[in-house]
This record gives sequence, C-alpha cells and structure tokens, in this order.
Amino acid sequence: MNTGIQKRKTIDTTLKVLLVLFVFTVPLWVTSPTTLQILIFLFLYAYLTTTWNLVGGFAGVLPLGHSAYVGIGAYTSTVLFISYGVSPWIGMWAGGLIAAIVGIIIGIPTLKLRGAYFALSTMAFGEGVRVLVENTMQLGPFNINGPRGICVPLIPGNNIAAFQFLSKVPYYYIILVMLCVVLFITWYISRIRPGYYLAAGGEEPEAAQSLGVNVAKYKVWAMGLSCFLTALGGTFLAQLALYFYPKQILGLDFSFELAFIALIGGRGTIAGPVVGALILRPVSELTRIYLSAVLPGLHLVIFGLVLILVMLYQPKGLVGPLEKLYNWFLNKVSGTEKEVRT
Amino acid sequence: MALLEINNVSKHFGGLKAVDQVSMSIEKGQIYGLIGPNGAGKSTLFNCVAGTYGPTLGAIIYSGKDITGWKPWDICKLGIARTFQIVKPFQTKTVLYNTMVGAFIRTSNRSEAEDRSMEVLKSFKLADKAHTLAKNLTIADRKRLEVARAMATEPEMLLLDECMAGLRPNEVDQTLDEIRLIRDRGITIFMIEHIMRAIMSVSDRITVIQFGRKIMDGTPQEVAKDERVIKAYLGESYAAA
Amino acid sequence: MDIIIQALINGLLTGSYYGLAALGLTIVFGVIKVINFAHGSLLMVGMFAAYWMVRLTGWHPYAALIVVVPLLFLFGYALQGILIKPILEGQRDVREPTEVIIVTTGVWYILDNLALMIFGAEYRVVQTSISGQIFMLGDYIFPKAQLYGLITTAVTAGLVLWFLKYTRTGMSIRAASLDRDAASLMGINQYRVYNIAFGIGAMIAGIVGCVLIPFYYVFPTVGVIFDVKCFIIVVLGGLGSIPGALAGGVIVGLIESTFSQYMTSTWTELIVYVVFLAVLFIRPAGLFGEKRDW
Ligand SMILES: Nc1ncnc2c1ncn2[C@@H]1O[C@H](COP(=O)(O)OP(=O)(O)OP(=O)(O)O)[C@@H](O)[C@H]1O
Ligand SMILES: [Mg+2]
Repeated sequence: MNTGIQKRKTIDTTLKVLLVLFVFTVPLWVTSPTTLQILIFLFLYAYLTTTWNLVGGFAGVLPLGHSAYVGIGAYTSTVLFISYGVSPWIGMWAGGLIAAIVGIIIGIPTLKLRGAYFALSTMAFGEGVRVLVENTMQLGPFNINGPRGICVPLIPGNNIAAFQFLSKVPYYYIILVMLCVVLFITWYISRIRPGYYLAAGGEEPEAAQSLGVNVAKYKVWAMGLSCFLTALGGTFLAQLALYFYPKQILGLDFSFELAFIALIGGRGTIAGPVVGALILRPVSELTRIYLSAVLPGLHLVIFGLVLILVMLYQPKGLVGPLEKLYNWFLNKVSGTEKEVRT
Repeated sequence: MALLEINNVSKHFGGLKAVDQVSMSIEKGQIYGLIGPNGAGKSTLFNCVAGTYGPTLGAIIYSGKDITGWKPWDICKLGIARTFQIVKPFQTKTVLYNTMVGAFIRTSNRSEAEDRSMEVLKSFKLADKAHTLAKNLTIADRKRLEVARAMATEPEMLLLDECMAGLRPNEVDQTLDEIRLIRDRGITIFMIEHIMRAIMSVSDRITVIQFGRKIMDGTPQEVAKDERVIKAYLGESYAAA
Repeated sequence: MDIIIQALINGLLTGSYYGLAALGLTIVFGVIKVINFAHGSLLMVGMFAAYWMVRLTGWHPYAALIVVVPLLFLFGYALQGILIKPILEGQRDVREPTEVIIVTTGVWYILDNLALMIFGAEYRVVQTSISGQIFMLGDYIFPKAQLYGLITTAVTAGLVLWFLKYTRTGMSIRAASLDRDAASLMGINQYRVYNIAFGIGAMIAGIVGCVLIPFYYVFPTVGVIFDVKCFIIVVLGGLGSIPGALAGGVIVGLIESTFSQYMTSTWTELIVYVVFLAVLFIRPAGLFGEKRDW
C-alpha cells in the first residue's frame, strides 16, 4: 500500500521537475524567433493574469481596468528613457510605484462598497486613462504623442542597460523569471496571514471583520501590490514590442481579456491564471487568425460562448477539472486509486 | 466593576427604533441571557456591541473603555468575539481554514495559528472534519464551527446569537455543555436564545426586551415568574418549550 | 447667455436618454444585485430592429416600439431565466455573484459580433420622418427627435415607477429587491420576479434604441459607448437608485453639452471621467446610493 503512494509521489515530482527543466531549456532547441515570440507573449499574459489574480482572485473583487496599469508601466519607463536616458530597468520601478499609488487611491473609496461599484469604477477609470492619453500630446515635460503612441528609441546591438536585445532568448528568460517570481509571491501570500484575511474578506466580509480583519485595508494593499507588479509587466511589454499606443495597451478589450483569462483558468488559485493563459491564448489567437478571414467576429462569438459555458458548468475555472484529471492519471499509473481520494 | 456596560443604547433605522434606550451590565464570568420575541431588537443590540453598527445614542463601555462606535475588527482585537444568527462560514474553505482566520488575530505565525485552531476544533469535536469544506457541513456542524471560529480569536467575552436554533434536543444539550465549559475557562458569555429551556438552565442572569425596549432583568427564576414576560411570550410560552 | 441656455437645453435632451438607458441597468441591479454587461448590446439590438423597421416600412421610428418592446422584454426574460438563474441558484450563498458579470459579457460579445457578422461594420443611418426636424421655443432650438426622447424618458420612468408602486407584480419586485430570502418566504416566486425585472431592463434598452434611431448611427459596437456611459451614470447616481440613474444621466448630458462650448468633445469626455472620480471620493456610494453597504 505504501509503495503505491511512494511511487505516486515519485512520478508526481519527476513530472514537475521535467516540466521546469523543459520550460527553462526551450531556447536551447527552439531557434525560430517567431515561436519564441509566441511563447514570450504567452508567458507575459500568464504574468499579467497572475498579477491581476492577486486582487481579482484573492480579494474576491473584479477589477476591469488593469490595462491602465500596464499602460502606466509602459509609458513611465519609456518616457523616462526618452527624456532623461533612464534605463528601463530603473524606470520600471518608477512605473510600478506610480501604478501602486494610483491603484491604492482608486481602491480606497471603491473597495469599501459592493463589488459592483469596484468593477464599474475600475472599468471607467481605465477608460478615463485611455481618453486622457489619447488627448494628450505633451504631459508636463514628456512627449507622449496622443493617440499615435510612442516608440522606444532603438539602441544598436544587445544592450542590457537599455533592456534591448537582438535575440528573443533574453526576453524569454526575463519574462520566465518574472512569471516565476509572481507565482512565488502569490503562493507565499496565500500561506501567510494577509492571504487568509484576503480570502476571508472576499468571501464573507462581515464574518471576516468580526474575526478581527480590517477587510478594506487588506484589499487596498492587495490592489496596490497587484498594480505595482502589473506595471512591471507593462515595461516588459514596451521593451519587447518597442512600440505601443493607447488603443492597444490601454484598451478596454485588453483589460477584459486579462480578467477573463484568469476567471476561466480559475481565480483565486495559484495555477489558474497560468492555465487560463496557456489554454485561452492559443485558442483565441488561432480562431482569430483562421476564422476572422472567413467571417469577422466569429471568433469573438465563440469566445463569448466559451465564457458562458465555463461560468455555467465550471464557475471555479478550468484548473479544478484539470487537477482532477492529473490526479486520476497519477493514480492510474501508480495504482493508488483506492488510497488517494481526489 | 462590570465587564460590559450598555448605557442607554438606542439604534434607529430610519423611523424604526430597533433598540430603544436599553441598559444592562454584565459581570465577568457570567452567562448572561438576552431574550425577547422575534424582531425585538436583540440581534441589533449585539451588532451595536460588536461594532457592526454604531449606536444612534448611548454608550458601550468594556473594561472601563468607551468602545462606542469602534470598528468590528478593533472590538474583536480587544477581546469580544461574536457569532452570527445566520451563520456565515467561509464556504469554499476548509473548517481548519475558517478557524485559522480567527486564530490569526493573536499570532501571525501560520503553524502556531494552525495548532491553536486544531485545539479549538478538538474541543468542539470538529477535529476529524478539519479538512472538510465548510459548505459540506451539516447545519449543526456549521453552528458549531461558527462558535469555534469565534473561540479561536481567544476572546474574553463571547456573544452568541441563537447558536442553538434549529438543533435537535440532544444537540442542544451538547451545546449547553460546551457553553458551560467555555464559561469555566473564565470567558464571559452574552447570549441570545429562543429555546427557553436552554437559556433558563444556563444563564446566571437574563434581560428581556420587546419592541426594542427593556422589559426587565433578573435571575431566570424571576424572569420566569414575571407577568410582563409571560405576556410578551404569550403563544410562545415557557411552559410549552 | 443664449448659447449657455441652448447648451443646457441640449444637455437636458441628451441626458434624458442617457438617463433612460441607465434606468434599465439600475432596475436590474436594484432587484438582482447584478450588473448586466450586455445592456448596451441589448440597446444595439433595439436600434437595429428599429432601423430595419423604418428602412423597410418607412413608418415612424416609434412605431417600431410595438415590435421592440415585447421582443426585448422576452429576450431579457429568457436571458435571466436560462443563463443567469442557474448561476444565482448555484451561488445562493454568495452575496454578489460576479459570475453574472462574466456571463452577460459573454452575451455582449455574442450579440455584438453576431451583428457584425450579419450587418457588417459600417455605420448606418436612416432618414426617418422626424430626423433633422426642429421645434422652436423663442430663440431656442429643440430637435424634435430628441424632444420626443425626453418625453419618452418621462413617460417610461413614470410607467415603471407606477408599475413598481401599484401593481402586484411590481410590489413583489420591490419586496424581492429588499430581501431575497424574506421575499421567497412570503411566497414570492423569486426567479419569476427576477425574470420580469430583467425583461424590464432589456425592454428599456430597446426603447432607448428606438429613441436613438432618428439621430444616431447604428453599428454593431454602438452598445459599448452606452455601456460605459451607463456604468458611469449608475455609479454616479448610486447603484440601484431610479432617481439616481435619471439625475446621473442629466448630469452627464449637461457636462457634455456645456463643456463642449469651450473644448473638443474628447476633452468633455474626460471631464465626465473627472467628475465621476470626484464623486467617487466625495460620495463613494453615489449621489442617491446607500451610504453603508458592502
Ligand atoms: N439593517 C437594518 N435596516 C433596517 N431595519 C433593520 C435592520 N436590521 C434590523 N432591522 C429591524 O430592526 C428590528 C429588530 O431586528 P433584530 O434582528 O434585532 O431582531 P431580533 O430580536 O434579533 O429578532 P429575531 O429573534 O427574529 O432574530 C426588526 O424590525 C428588523 O426588521
Ligand atoms: Mg436576531
């Protein structure tokens, strides 16, 4: 009996180690820049949905304007680079800080109210930021170029300080490390008091309060942290694409996409947003590429249907059933169906 | 000096005086009962003490401190824990998780919180269900979890809002024993209960309210004999319960 | 002075149909405590229906109400009954099922993109019998189509209030909006009440669609514009508050019309956001909202 469980554990660990090895060695045998670019975007989405999840998942509220913080990150580091030659590596912290402050300021009045206020307010705020940027050519000393967006000035060759590389490989490793870090942060928070308080306050605010939790305070901090980390992703996006404009990086569609990937994957779980990105991004890209040529809009009809079906049949996201499947597989190969209930 | 003093507390909702100038004082170590017909304002009074609402008028003094209008989490930190009449467990979390949220008030260390929670769960005979999700519990267990979770905050005073409603007679007896055990550990108990047999047998002192106003207070024997109380409860009489 | 008064008139006229659109959203929230993200898409459906009625028959745009009102009421009724009810049932213990926001967003995507597939992305406009006509009061201009819009808003709001106050169904809707559990204890069929509330919300979106047809472009994503506006308005006015929605609509309309005297329309849009944020800080629960609420 014990040998079965032992075996199960070994297989489980081996698979996980293999996965990590696999992910970290991809650039050794994948050389096509296009493929790497696709993977980089996949990880970037996983990163952004994971940071969204810090407030949207654990705090149990629904932020629908997170593109604003991606944009704050991208714009801050880029204008600092253009105007003062500040390295984006430093600029990204400035962007993060600004995003955190803005997020906290928005969170303070809205996180005390019913969740709908927060969802609608964040969405309206995101749109407000987009309209502001689209209508502003010059923000103080900085040229932000209104609706046309800005380019990150090209520095010839590989330049670590300028966060610019000729090959895709450095970008791959940077976003992979960033993703690992936010996953670790999420995991860590879920195990300490603030994580318990966030989850409790998200589920039953009154009960949590009567158990000593200042619910709004914890939500506001989660919002700040989430916005901070989201903005770091914004800088990465700017350095990767080297060109961005408000409609894209500050758009409502982008905000919604981040939220829905996390929700379909499984909000409030650690793996959920990553799973969501890994499943949904390829599907939505492929349907967009192949279907919009046939009938524009069809891929979004399908996306809408997927949203509805997941919410009706798996409201906690796809990560639950996938985990079950994985456990079933483990039990199957190690013959532990009887011992380990899943 | 009394542990908790409620001085002329009123709570108005618009034109409705849900609690109207109620005063009482609860000594340390007592089990203090609060009874009254449906809608009398009992839960509202609890909510005022626990900080869910600020009272419209009056003052609440705990251990000589004026805690009127304090926030619920500060009141809990001070040592007053409460349960809800309609239980509010964290449904998607385990029983252990539920109590750990309470235990975290006295420690930020996770394993310490876990140890304390397990002890509390043991004393409420919930230890074997520690890893069950709260939404899968029976009503009786949910009620018990509600009390266990409040006890995990290690309070000096416990407010119990109808923690026996909906339980079977043998479960009521078990809960009564648990309440006495809590009291024996030096924790003052302030409880609302409709089950007369239960509240009469366990309370040291009882206050009766009706339409937000206090009718009387006294020992269970005095309350049981009182004309006004019998009138208030006509149709829901003590004898029948 | 004249310019200002004319701007105020325009603001009131615009604000009235904003307010009407927001009214549909706020009624649904008031009863079910969920936000219908497909509200703008329902408005778009109403607009397309009215558009085709006018195009094909040449009737007065308001004649389309005969079709649009029952159609959208049934649509909303069915939407709540089929898609939202299972979520509310599954999440009985949750205060505010955010899943509903996601499901209705799914409906939004489907409706907007079906419209795109069927009608194409172009902006359409139809010449109706009241398009471009004006009514003069002294020196002030009232575009007829918008004046009718104002009257429609007043009549619809009046009818809705009357329905909620004096009919049996309306009273059960109000009871259910106060307390889900208590209402069902009193023998009110909670979900039927929800269906009706949702139907009314959708119907109002359809009415706004008809009002807009004489002077507004129709295109598949027209609803998004109104979605964002309605969200701002209901938060401004206080979620679930009927006077809040109407007042919020007029406020937004007035801001747009008066500030557009001095700046481009994109900047007036920005002013709306600034006012919105300001209200959020001064009165987070909105002008007519409950103060203490989770
Ligand atoms: N938040 C509120 N807003 C408005 N009225 C309220 C509110 N809470 C309670 N009330 C009203 O105050 C009165 C007292 O209610 P309360 O819940 O305190 O009664 P209770 O004595 O606990 O009754 P029960 O025995 O049924 O629990 C009732 O009429 C109730 O409807
Ligand atoms: Mg009560």
